[in-house]
Amino acid sequence: MSDVVKTQTTTFSPRSFRWQRRRAATVDFWSRFRGDRLALFGLAVLLTFIVMAIGAPWISPKEGLSAVDSIDNPTWATPRFDYPFGTDNLGRSVAAQFVWGSRVSLWVGLSATVLTIAIGSAVGVTAGFFGRWTDATLMRLTDWFLVIPFLPLAIVLASVLDRSLRNVVLVIAITSWPGTARLVRAQVLTVKQRLFVDRARALGASRFHVIRRHILPNVAPLILANVTLAVPISILTETTLAFLGLGDPKRPSWGKTLEEAFNAGAISRNAWWYYLPAGAGIVIVVLAFTLVGRAVEEILDPRLREGGL
Amino acid sequence: MLRRLFGAGVIAGVVLVGVSAPSAVAQDDPVTMTIGLMQDMSSPNVTVGYLVPEFEVWNLQYATLTSKAADDFSTIPGLAESWVESNGGLTYAYTLREGLLWSDGTPLTADDIAYTINRSRDEEWYNHFSTVENLDAVVIDDRTVEITSSVPDPKLPTMDVYIVPKHIYEPISFDDLESYEALDGVSSGPYSLTEWRSGQDWTMVKNPLYFGRDNGIDRLVFRVFSNADAMVAALQRGEIDAAHNFNASSVEQLENDSNITVVAGLQGGFTELALNGMAGGIGDGNPALQNIDVRHAIFHAIDRNVLFDRVALGLGSIGTTLSPSADPTWIPDLGDGAFAYDPARSAELLEGAGYIDSDGDGIRETPDGEPFVLRYIIRSESTDAAPIAEFITGWLEAVGIGTETTVMDDTQLYDVSVAGEYDMFAWGWTPYVDPDPMLSYFTCDQVTYDADEAGYNDANWCDPAYDELYLQQKVELDPVKRREIVAEMLRFFNTNSTYLVLLQDPDLQAYRTDRFEGWLQQPAETGPVLFTNSSPTYESLTVIGTEPTLISEDTTEGTTAAGDDTATGDTAAPGDTAATGDTAAPGDAVIAPAPDGTDGSGDADDGGSNTGLIVGIIAAVLVLGGGGFFLAKRRGSVDDRE
Repeated sequence: MSDVVKTQTTTFSPRSFRWQRRRAATVDFWSRFRGDRLALFGLAVLLTFIVMAIGAPWISPKEGLSAVDSIDNPTWATPRFDYPFGTDNLGRSVAAQFVWGSRVSLWVGLSATVLTIAIGSAVGVTAGFFGRWTDATLMRLTDWFLVIPFLPLAIVLASVLDRSLRNVVLVIAITSWPGTARLVRAQVLTVKQRLFVDRARALGASRFHVIRRHILPNVAPLILANVTLAVPISILTETTLAFLGLGDPKRPSWGKTLEEAFNAGAISRNAWWYYLPAGAGIVIVVLAFTLVGRAVEEILDPRLREGGL
Repeated sequence: MLRRLFGAGVIAGVVLVGVSAPSAVAQDDPVTMTIGLMQDMSSPNVTVGYLVPEFEVWNLQYATLTSKAADDFSTIPGLAESWVESNGGLTYAYTLREGLLWSDGTPLTADDIAYTINRSRDEEWYNHFSTVENLDAVVIDDRTVEITSSVPDPKLPTMDVYIVPKHIYEPISFDDLESYEALDGVSSGPYSLTEWRSGQDWTMVKNPLYFGRDNGIDRLVFRVFSNADAMVAALQRGEIDAAHNFNASSVEQLENDSNITVVAGLQGGFTELALNGMAGGIGDGNPALQNIDVRHAIFHAIDRNVLFDRVALGLGSIGTTLSPSADPTWIPDLGDGAFAYDPARSAELLEGAGYIDSDGDGIRETPDGEPFVLRYIIRSESTDAAPIAEFITGWLEAVGIGTETTVMDDTQLYDVSVAGEYDMFAWGWTPYVDPDPMLSYFTCDQVTYDADEAGYNDANWCDPAYDELYLQQKVELDPVKRREIVAEMLRFFNTNSTYLVLLQDPDLQAYRTDRFEGWLQQPAETGPVLFTNSSPTYESLTVIGTEPTLISEDTTEGTTAAGDDTATGDTAAPGDTAATGDTAAPGDAVIAPAPDGTDGSGDADDGGSNTGLIVGIIAAVLVLGGGGFFLAKRRGSVDDRE
């Protein structure tokens, strides 16, 4: 008897209750997500590319990227058995560039998004929660970044900073956080008015506690949905910068492949195998992220759900 | 003073789609010839401009006292019809042609010549000074000017400085000269510049008062493209009549066009790998590069044959050493001094100098125990810079030298090069005909000791022995002896300097053969047709389907005049560039071997790659269309649920 009571108390301790609720939410999320066949398709595509990116050294040896190691290869070879995507103007395998390029594109896409969202959320939560002059100051700053034309700012930053992957990530984050900041702030403003926040304040909870325990969990779904939608934008931005010659010169990315193909005259030469894989890779990955992102947004954003909140 | 080779292309730009209609053919319309190029002028002002395009403008607008033969750059009559030597080769008296006029009708007299020479010397005009530095010009009468050099000058009697109109330039003070727009259009050459739309185009109209041949072309339009492929397409459509500096990869495509002739013209331009020799004592160059064995190890690690095949696509020629002149015969045979590709020798030299990979990471350590890593700057303004860097960094890593690459545009690169804040970069030069200016850049005088007073020496290396030889050749009047001295200088430079000349760069040009004929290469057989040293092509052109205009007496007169005084031993060639027998132009002397190892693409003929393109487009459409369909579908499913 005492055993049973003991078990029951542990089962319903706040911690285990929270875990149970999270597990239930995850199961619920997954069952909804599974219902969206397009989202599943997108997820499968993404997983394929992620496996390819992680397994690049085993799929295609790094030597394939080196012009010096490719001097015995034919140049401008059309796709064939030993060069599945053909070779470029220097005899390098386009397939190797595609495989290794996925690493940079995905890595920059994801890390730039994390940074973007981190900056955006921090600014949005601070502005929304503290209000008054904090809000006014931060929102003017946000407005200021919003009105600066995005591409020129990115180009100027990228040309002033050294051309490294880290700086590309930085440039993307600096130029694309304001959207997230506004979105998060709006959500914080509505959550802040809820009764449970007042209740927590009345019980003496600190501001930090309120933000951590009540505000953040309620804006998290929105942030998460925003993440999946921000990744494609980051990937496209990385491609744009690389195409303009502002990427890291030492690392192959899809954007760099496009730039090199363009400079080498692949377009007037009709060497479609040089630029098509990178272009298609970008389109497919961006599309996959968008499909997954829409589904996640739909599930997590109460406004898009039946019945609303 | 020099013409920096400012890149064969722009990294990436908006594709310029030509909108101008094909040139009109109606009889009464002015005949226009349009030339496409990838570079805008920096300024048409002859006292400040320094890029290749404005030299073409000046060649057409300002006749020079003596001109240069199309075939071999030898000195032929220009504004002067004859000249007489005296005072042991220090003084020359030039007699001008009769009745010379500026395009506005003002007479062109000896006064204009003396004015230009003396003023440009006193004010040190950028493009004049190296020629007129030691000269003094005196007017004898309207048609005679006497030029005296204070030191023996092997360049004389060649006087190729641009003569400016005194009546236009006299009112402009020294302080205002730098900002002068120079669109006055007063010309002594066949054309005068009337309009310049920066970044778009400039127009030159025929000077009816020009003393030479009338080619029947009323207007020249130079159109600036920001994308080489767009320029090639415009040439194929006939929107432009000639194109200058496109990508080597377009050569094959253009050669298949029966109305287009491609020329890979050499006029001395080259691309070098420059290491920081730290001669100026400023900056932060890697000290290892001051060790000559380390430099030679780097040179031996580089395979210039591969660069020639893979980057230059076999156009132009393989680099040997500094090419000081537009005339390739100045480069001596280097024998064993040419740094052949030899990675084993490279490793041996590095080991001997104490650079050993002690921790087994593939990168050698310096004698101080630091990893031996060099910074390599890639120019963003040349499409060849990235592939060259790709190869060179690869080869250096293969012999255990690490590299860190950064990308810079030409302005940034210039700034770090004068500040000495680099380890290596690849850039280029285009020399003049006389080797003196190019050779002078690597003397100790031209080293930058203070970034605010920059010199030309971007090897950042100098040697008193080289300077000694330089001074000797500068005053050697015997052309054979001078060549020997220059050859010795070049061998010395090749072995001791921090420069490795990678490639002799061709000017890739193409022209349509269906509207104009008589295109001239300068120098003959190997040179380009446009943007050459003295631009003789224009005068030799004829509009196809029109009667060639016969010129006045000046051809014969010029020939005899030149024949009169070959006293200095300079071979003065007969001045027959203006002759109407222009069909002699070697229109089809083309250097364009197919690049090696292209068997893959060789199989894919036009039809094949077009099929490929179509397949590609269909695939892209499917992917995009599929995406659109999915998105539409998703919308539907949301609606269904609601």
